[in-house]
Amino acid sequence: MAAEQSNASPHHPVRLLLVDDLQRNRLTVFFRLILSIPHFIWISLWGLVTLVLVFINWFATLIQGRSPAGLHRLIASYVKYAIHFHAYLHLAAEPYPSFDGSPGYPVDVEIPPPAAQRRLTVLFRLILLLPALLIVLVLAGNPNSGAGTGRRSFSYTGGLLPGVAFLGWFAILAQGRMPRGLRDGAAYALSYGAQFWSYAFLLTEHYPDSDPLAAVPDLPVREDPVRLDLSDDLRRSRLTVFFRALLALPHLIWLELWGIIALLCAILNWFATLFAGRSPEGLHRFLAAYLRYYFHVVSFLYLIANPFPGFVGKAGSYPFEVLVAAREHQNRWKTGFRVILAIPALLLVGAYSALVFVVAVLGWFSSLARGRMPRGLRNAGALALRYHAQATGYLLLLTDAYPYGGPIAEGAAHETVPAIDSPSPTEGPGGGPGGPGAKPEIGLS
Amino acid sequence: MSGARAAWERVAARPLRSALACALLGVLTLLWVLAARALWHSSVPAGMHLPHVDPRSVFSRSFLTSSASFERFLVIDLLLGDVALVVVLALYARWGDRLMRESAAGRIGTGMMLGMLGFAVLWLAEVPFNLAAVWWERKHGISHQGYLASLIASFLSLGGTFLFVSLALLITMAIAGILRRWWWALAAPIFAALALLSTFLSVYLIPDTHPLRSEPTAADVRRLARIEGIAGTKADVQDVKRQTTAPNAESVGFGSTRRVVLWDTLLDGRFDRREVDVVVAHELGHLAHDHPLKRVGWLALFLLPAAALVALFTRGRGGLGQPEAVPIALFVFVVLQLLTMPLMNVVSRREEAEADWSALRATHDPTAARALFRELALASRANPDPPTWSYVLYEDHPTIVQRIAMVEAWQARHAH
Repeated sequence: MAAEQSNASPHHPVRLLLVDDLQRNRLTVFFRLILSIPHFIWISLWGLVTLVLVFINWFATLIQGRSPAGLHRLIASYVKYAIHFHAYLHLAAEPYPSFDGSPGYPVDVEIPPPAAQRRLTVLFRLILLLPALLIVLVLAGNPNSGAGTGRRSFSYTGGLLPGVAFLGWFAILAQGRMPRGLRDGAAYALSYGAQFWSYAFLLTEHYPDSDPLAAVPDLPVREDPVRLDLSDDLRRSRLTVFFRALLALPHLIWLELWGIIALLCAILNWFATLFAGRSPEGLHRFLAAYLRYYFHVVSFLYLIANPFPGFVGKAGSYPFEVLVAAREHQNRWKTGFRVILAIPALLLVGAYSALVFVVAVLGWFSSLARGRMPRGLRNAGALALRYHAQATGYLLLLTDAYPYGGPIAEGAAHETVPAIDSPSPTEGPGGGPGGPGAKPEIGLS
Repeated sequence: MSGARAAWERVAARPLRSALACALLGVLTLLWVLAARALWHSSVPAGMHLPHVDPRSVFSRSFLTSSASFERFLVIDLLLGDVALVVVLALYARWGDRLMRESAAGRIGTGMMLGMLGFAVLWLAEVPFNLAAVWWERKHGISHQGYLASLIASFLSLGGTFLFVSLALLITMAIAGILRRWWWALAAPIFAALALLSTFLSVYLIPDTHPLRSEPTAADVRRLARIEGIAGTKADVQDVKRQTTAPNAESVGFGSTRRVVLWDTLLDGRFDRREVDVVVAHELGHLAHDHPLKRVGWLALFLLPAAALVALFTRGRGGLGQPEAVPIALFVFVVLQLLTMPLMNVVSRREEAEADWSALRATHDPTAARALFRELALASRANPDPPTWSYVLYEDHPTIVQRIAMVEAWQARHAH
């Protein structure tokens, strides 16, 4: 029961250490890519040597049942250095990193000393890595993915880490600071990367944890106007999981129809908000209901929640609930240029969409096998959808608060931000796992 | 007994109302019988005696043996699949309502989910039987479809079923929420109207079709359509040769969407032009005698009592307005469909016979018709003379032997 009270996964032995103050020097940020060239060369050379060491480590661990201390130390140094370098490159840290992976960098990794490992998982480590590889690709990006062969080639250039770095670059040049959300988004990707490579290189036998709540230390508690109330208990019905995509079909059709009306309302809302300085009550309610319904359906489709959602987006009816605050005054300049202002957020939505898709694919297999959605995967998907909801709410003029790009500490959903669509204590969810008047178990916003 | 006594007491308590209800029921039954009689009408001469045709005079002994074996496997597979279907649906009717906990969708949404999951469970139960059929057809060179492709295709088509079930339950449960016990009286005509609309639009729902490109065949279609009194009816070709070698054709739509659809396996050179003409004339015969509309009529006649029975059987769970009644409704409806299948086959065989007769009158080519039926059997390994039980349960066309006998009957009439 105690485990259910916290939404975060237990701590992974490979931990990210973060002492960054978000301050950035505009000059070094402007030339960050060029400044990184020596590190690009060094990491490639060191990487080749490490590859050989990993191969030896694999045999040694298979024979001894644990990684030899010397090899472990050498490979761990490389992983730490790689994290330092990528943190620097992707603007998650400011100082120029050393070339030896020595401790003390603002974004550092704690890797435990060698421990006993099950030989079977060592033997099949490469195969076991594959699901985590999918996640690492969508978090850290895949720069080589354009190298297709033959007539077809892939042009995937996404990835959360390059996405936040791209947006962060502009933000830093404008403000001299890395936005906290973007930095934490990068830290999440780096943390997963560190766990992934530590697992791949046999430094630990703990599988990488995709839980953003456990990845980044000292997450902020926020009270955003568009936020998430997640009361999912992780249980999944195997039958509905197997047929999930087909079961969602009626909803997707209904959503399309509703979406046409919502688009017209959003255009009307833009004119009205520009003129009056805030959304008309009726339009605000209608668009909030659409947003809520949209994310009921999407969270069902992507296995972030379990029950079959209703068709009207009733407030408090679903364990994955997007709460929208009551309408407020909005800055007319922000309203006028909303579509342009939303473009960076939509870029990040693209990166997060890839994450939630991978989460759904992996979660599908896992839920079928165990009847439960892994907590880490569910929380990763919830983070992605929460960001998507905030970006959509911003675009629909439900708020002029910009979407927050990183994970948020649990507990924020318990705060009493006045929301137009919070269920009243007597109303309660209609049959969902939360039950009538249920307190949200956790929250990601 | 107590239920019967209670019913009798209710009747005795309100004799006038009961008499009126009986009278109404009688009138409805009479109308039903009159409608069925009108739909039953056929242009095949009444009392026509079909001569006996010995299958061995048309087919080799080895073919008769192999086709009987081929079809026996498929029919038994089908029968076992139907048994599994009934068992699974019965279990679902008993325990399916437990899945309500997987829904946060309210009354109608939960009903839709239970309906979809019912068909999902059925799909799972039918997988082994479908794969067995694919294996058998591949083994005999009738199907080219891979096992995975077959599974994926049937899984994707389940999406269409889900949408249909959702729409059907949305309508039914919404009506049941208002009319309570009498929902069926309104739902049955609505579904008949939807079936009519679907029949009208069906030509647009057939995948991989293109207009008939062969000009001689297109000219024959125009000529035969004029003869059959439906000038202007067009023919399309459906590409199926990647999935099967079996030849086939169908007629769809009515009014402006009336169309003959020929499978490309029929036009691959195995059948000569005169034989293709017989097929075209047969399909035009269906359209000329309004068979697509008649099928909607029969469906309406089936739906009315079926919906009433569903309403009766779901009362125990609060009626079809309540989601927990959906699994029972599915069970009752599917079992009724299975039970009435032999009757619907009788109707279908009668329509097919009328289309054959129509084709003979239009083409005046009994030689081509006889050759066609023989080659159809050879190409699809159809048993020319299946056992009675299989004929009654599953044959919706006359047997090949019966069709050849009709050719001979037509020839005999025109010889005089």
